[in-house]
Amino acid sequence: MTLILRAPTTHEDRTFPHLVTSVPAARAVNAVKLYGNAETSVRALDGVNVDFAPGCFTAIMGPSGSGKSTLLHCLAGLDDLTSGSISIGDTILGTLRERQLTRLRRDRIGFIFQAFNLLPTLTAAENITLPLALAGRRPDPDWFDTVVDVVGLRDRLHHRPAELSGGQQQRVAAARALVSRPEIILADEPTGNLDSKAGGELLAFMRRAVDGFGQTIVMVTHDPVAASYADRIVFLADGQVVDEMFEPTAERAIDHMKQLGG
Amino acid sequence: MTRLLRGALAQGVRLFGTALAVALAVTLVSGTFILTDTIDSAFHQASADTGGSSDVVIRSTALFAAQANSLPEREPVPESLVAKIAAIPGVKAAWAAVQGYAELVDKQGQAIAAKGLPTVGSAVTPDVTLTAGRAPGPGEVAIDVETARRAGLVLGDKIKVLFSGSTQEFTIGGLLDAAGDVVASTKAIFDQVTAQRVLGVEGQVDAIPVEAEAGVSPDALRSRINAVLPDQYEAVTTAQVAQESAESWTQAVAFLPTALLLFAAVALLVGAFIICNTFSILVAQRARELALLRSLGASRAQLTASVLCEAVAVGLVGSVAGVLAGFGAARGLLALFGRMGFELPAASAVFLPRTAVVGVVAGVAVTVLAALAPARRATLISPVGALRGADGGRATSTSRRLALGSAAGLAGLATLLTGVLSGGDKPLVAVGLGAVGILVGLAALTPLVATPAAHFLGAPLVRLFGEPAFLGRENAMRSPRRTASTAAALMIGIGLVGVVAILAASVKASASRTVDDSLRADFVLTPAGLGGAVSGVPPVVIDRVRESPAVATVSEIRGGQWGLDGRNQTLLAVDPATVTAMHEIDDGSAAAVRRLDDKGVLVRDTVAERYGWRIGDPVPMTFAKTGTRKMLLQGTFSTTAVRTDYVITLGAYRANFAQQFSLEVDVALAPGVTAVQGRAEIERALADYPVVKVMDHSQVVAAQEEKVNRLLVPVTALLALSVIIALLGIANTLALSIHERTREVGLLRALGMARRQLRSMIRSEAAIIGGLGAMLGTVVALFFGWALVASMRHLGVTELVFPVAQLAGLAALATVAGMLAGILPARKAASLAVLQAISTDR
Repeated sequence: MTLILRAPTTHEDRTFPHLVTSVPAARAVNAVKLYGNAETSVRALDGVNVDFAPGCFTAIMGPSGSGKSTLLHCLAGLDDLTSGSISIGDTILGTLRERQLTRLRRDRIGFIFQAFNLLPTLTAAENITLPLALAGRRPDPDWFDTVVDVVGLRDRLHHRPAELSGGQQQRVAAARALVSRPEIILADEPTGNLDSKAGGELLAFMRRAVDGFGQTIVMVTHDPVAASYADRIVFLADGQVVDEMFEPTAERAIDHMKQLGG
Repeated sequence: MTRLLRGALAQGVRLFGTALAVALAVTLVSGTFILTDTIDSAFHQASADTGGSSDVVIRSTALFAAQANSLPEREPVPESLVAKIAAIPGVKAAWAAVQGYAELVDKQGQAIAAKGLPTVGSAVTPDVTLTAGRAPGPGEVAIDVETARRAGLVLGDKIKVLFSGSTQEFTIGGLLDAAGDVVASTKAIFDQVTAQRVLGVEGQVDAIPVEAEAGVSPDALRSRINAVLPDQYEAVTTAQVAQESAESWTQAVAFLPTALLLFAAVALLVGAFIICNTFSILVAQRARELALLRSLGASRAQLTASVLCEAVAVGLVGSVAGVLAGFGAARGLLALFGRMGFELPAASAVFLPRTAVVGVVAGVAVTVLAALAPARRATLISPVGALRGADGGRATSTSRRLALGSAAGLAGLATLLTGVLSGGDKPLVAVGLGAVGILVGLAALTPLVATPAAHFLGAPLVRLFGEPAFLGRENAMRSPRRTASTAAALMIGIGLVGVVAILAASVKASASRTVDDSLRADFVLTPAGLGGAVSGVPPVVIDRVRESPAVATVSEIRGGQWGLDGRNQTLLAVDPATVTAMHEIDDGSAAAVRRLDDKGVLVRDTVAERYGWRIGDPVPMTFAKTGTRKMLLQGTFSTTAVRTDYVITLGAYRANFAQQFSLEVDVALAPGVTAVQGRAEIERALADYPVVKVMDHSQVVAAQEEKVNRLLVPVTALLALSVIIALLGIANTLALSIHERTREVGLLRALGMARRQLRSMIRSEAAIIGGLGAMLGTVVALFFGWALVASMRHLGVTELVFPVAQLAGLAALATVAGMLAGILPARKAASLAVLQAISTDR
C-alpha cells in the first residue's frame, strides 16, 4: 500500500553539507511511542530517526494518524517515548525530570499551537513576553522591537486577544515564540485555523525568522502550501519517517502526499 | 428529562463543595434543634425526678413563678397542716418538704458546687433512697454520691455547710442515690428538725407532698384535698409541679434556639452565595451543552427544571448530611455554652422528626432559591450563540442588578440610620433590618469595585511573587462578578466577626467607664464563680462584714423576678440610705432614690411613659410570695448604670421575696483604713465563706471584661462557621474556574510555567479574593459596629471602641485563609497532565 520511495537517510550528500559537522537542533533516535495497554496498543511512533538541522525550517507532513503531532509533542517534552531517545541540542530529554523539562520548554523552545495560543487576560505585549516573565527575565528591548515590527503588531500591542483577528493572534504567538530566542520553535498546524491570506502572512514571517535570524523551526502541517515555505519536508506514515524532500514546492508536496495516502 | 439530568449528574463531583456548604449551614440548624430538645428533655427529667414518689403536692398559692429557680419562693405552709392532710381519706402518706440554700464546702475550704448551679439542702423524706449509710439524724447530712466523689468525701467525714443565715459542720451519714443535675448541682439532706432550723423555716414547711392510696388517682386526690384546704393553699399533682418547674427552666434558656438559629440563618445566607455562584459558573460552563439541547428541541422550562432538579439533589444530599452532623454540632454547642458559663444538661441526644424536616426543608429551599437566578439564565442562552461559543445572556442583567443592589443598599442604609439617629423604641430592630438590606446591596454592587480592588490588593503580591501573581490577579479581575460574589460571602462572615469584636471592645470600655465614673464603694462583694444569678451572697456573710471595724458602710443590692400583666420582669432592691454613696447617679434621680420608701418603686422613665404611669400612681407588682401589691411610683430614672427598669427598697424586697441573697454588696471603708488593710479585714471576715469574692475597682472592671470575653468566644466560634463556608466558596469557585480554564493551564505549562508557579498563580487569585472579602468585611464591620453601638446607648453601651489591632489581624487572617483555600485547587491544577489539558475541548 504505502509506497516507500526512499529509505530515511542522513543528508550529508545533499544541500546542507555544512550542517553535518554541527550538532542538530533536535534529533529523534529510534523513537517509539505506544499508546494504550498491551493488547490494544497503538504504535504512534514506530522507530523514528530524524535530525533537525539548526537554522533550518522543517515541515513534517503525513496523513492523519501518521504520528506527526506525537513526534512534535515528544520533541517538546510534553509527551515521553516508550523507547528510543529525543534530544534538543545536546540535551537528552528522557533523562530530564519534570522541573528540568519545564525549564527547557520555557528557555529553549518556542511554541506555536493551532489555536488557543494566548492567555485571554493578557495584552498582546504581555502574551509575547510571558515565557520571559515566567523565567523572571526582561526582554531585550531592541530584539522585542525588531520582533514586533517583523510581525507587524506595533499598533496592536495593548489589545487583548479577543480584540485581535485570528491571524493577528497567531502572529502574536509567533512573536512570543521568537522573542525569547529559543533554540527551536515547534509549530503545530499554526495556519490550521487561518484563511489563506493570514496563513500566508504568518508563514512569510516564519520564513523571515529563519532567513534573517537563523531561527530553527519545526512545523507540523497537512497543508502542502504551508509546507512549501519550509527548507525541507519530512514525511511520516504509520509512525515512521518514510521520505523527505528538500526545497519543496506545493505541487511536489501534494504529489508526495497523494502517494502516501494512496 | 432523565437525559437532561444525566448531564447534571456528571457534574456531581464539582457540586461537592456546594453540598458541603449546605451541609455546614444545616448542621447548625439541626444541631440547634437537637440541643434544645435535649435540654428540654433533661429539664423535664430532672423536674420529674424531684417529685419522688408523691402524687400530689400541697403548697401556698402563688400568682407568679420565677424562671429557673430551685429555691422556694412561695409563702411557707404551717407544719401542723401535714397531720391534717395525712388524715384525709385516700392519702397513704403525707410528709414535710423543706428546701433551701445549702452550700457544701470541701476540705480545702472551697465551695464544691460547680458552674453556679443551685446547691440545695432539704429535709429527709420517706421516698429518699440511699446508696450507703443511713438517713441523717441530728448533726448528720446525706449528700449525693456524685458530689461526694468529686470532693473526695466518704461516710463519716466532717463537712462544713453554708446556709443563708449560718455555717455549720455535719458528719456525712449517708450517700444519696441521686447525682446532681441541672436544677441542683449538689444535694444535701438533713433530718426534718435540723433542716427547718438551718434553712430558716422553723415550724413551717415549703410544701407537703402526698402519696395516694392504691386505686386513688392523683387528680381525684387533688380535688378531694382542695375541697378541704383553706384558700391560701392549693393541691396540685406532682406531674403539674414537674411540668411547671421544667417550663420555668426551659423558658430561661428560650433565647438559646432563637440566637442559634440566627447564626444558622447567617450561615445559610453565606451558603446561598456559594450555591448561586456555583450554579452560575456551571450554567456558563455548560452553555454549549444547554444550547445544543435547546436546538434539539428542549424547552426553556425543561432546562430550568433540569438545573433546579440538580439544585434539589445537591440541597438534599447536603441537608441530610447536615442533619446527621447536627448530633456532633449539638455536642460541640454544649461544650461551647459550658465555656460561656451556661452549664446545660448533657443528657443523651434527643432527635425529633421535626429536626430532620426543618433541616432538610431549610437546606433544600435555600439551595433552590439560590439556584433560581442561574437556572433562569440557563434558558436565556440563545441556541446559536452558545454553540458558537459566545457568552450568552449576561450583559442584560447587569444594569438591573445595579439598580436592585443600589435600591436594597439605600433602603437598608435609610432604615439603619433612622434606627440609630431617631433613638426610637426599638433601634436594634431597625439596625438589624437595615444591616441585611445593606449587605444584600453591597453584595450586588461588589462587582463594580472588584476589578480596581483586585488590582490594588494584588499589587503587593505581584511585587513579591512576580509573573505568577500577576497572572493570578488578571484571573481575579477577568470575571468581576464571580470574584465579587465569592468575596461577598466572606465579607458577611468577616463583617459580623468584626462587628462582634467592636461591640465587645465597646461594651468593655463602657463598663470600665461606668465603674470609673460612678462606683464610689471601696470594695464590691459578689458571689464567687458564675452563680450570681442563681443564688447570691447569703445574708450571714454580709452580717460578718458589717461587724468588721474596718468597714464604715455596707450597702446591699438584691435582684428578683416579678410579674406584670403575666410577663416576667426583673427588679433591683437597694438601701436608699446608702446606695447613692456607693454609686454616683448622674441622671438627677439621686434625690428620688434617697426618698424611696418600702411602699414605693422607681421606674425607668421610658417604661413609665409607655405604661402612662405618673408619680404617685400605683404600679401593680405580682410577687410569688405575696401576690399582687400596688407599689407607688415614687420617681423615675434614666441612667444606664442601672441594668433594670424597676428599683424597690430592701425592706420591700424582704417583705415580698422568700430568699434574701444579694447580687452585689458595696463596702465603704472606715476613715483612715487603707485599701490593703481594708481588704485584709474583709477577707478575714469572709474566711469561712468561700462563696464570696472581694473586688476593688480594677477587679470589677476585669470581671466585667471576663464576662464579655466568655460570650465573645462562642459567638465568634459560631460566626466562624460562616467564615469557613465562605472559604469553602473560594476553594469551590477556584476549582470550577480552573476546570473552565483547563486549556489555559495546559498552555501555561507548555510555555514553561513551573508547577510551583502555577500553584502560586492560583493561590494569588485566592488571596486576592480573600483580601477583597476581608477588606469589604472590615468596612462593613466598622460601619455596622458604629451603628450597633450607637443604637445600644440605652443599654449602657456608651463608648465606641474600634479594636484596631484585632480588626487588622482579622483581615490579615482572612486573606491568608483565602490563600490557603486556594491550596487544594492549586494542587489539582498543578497535577493536570499538560498534553491532555492543552488538547481538552474546554
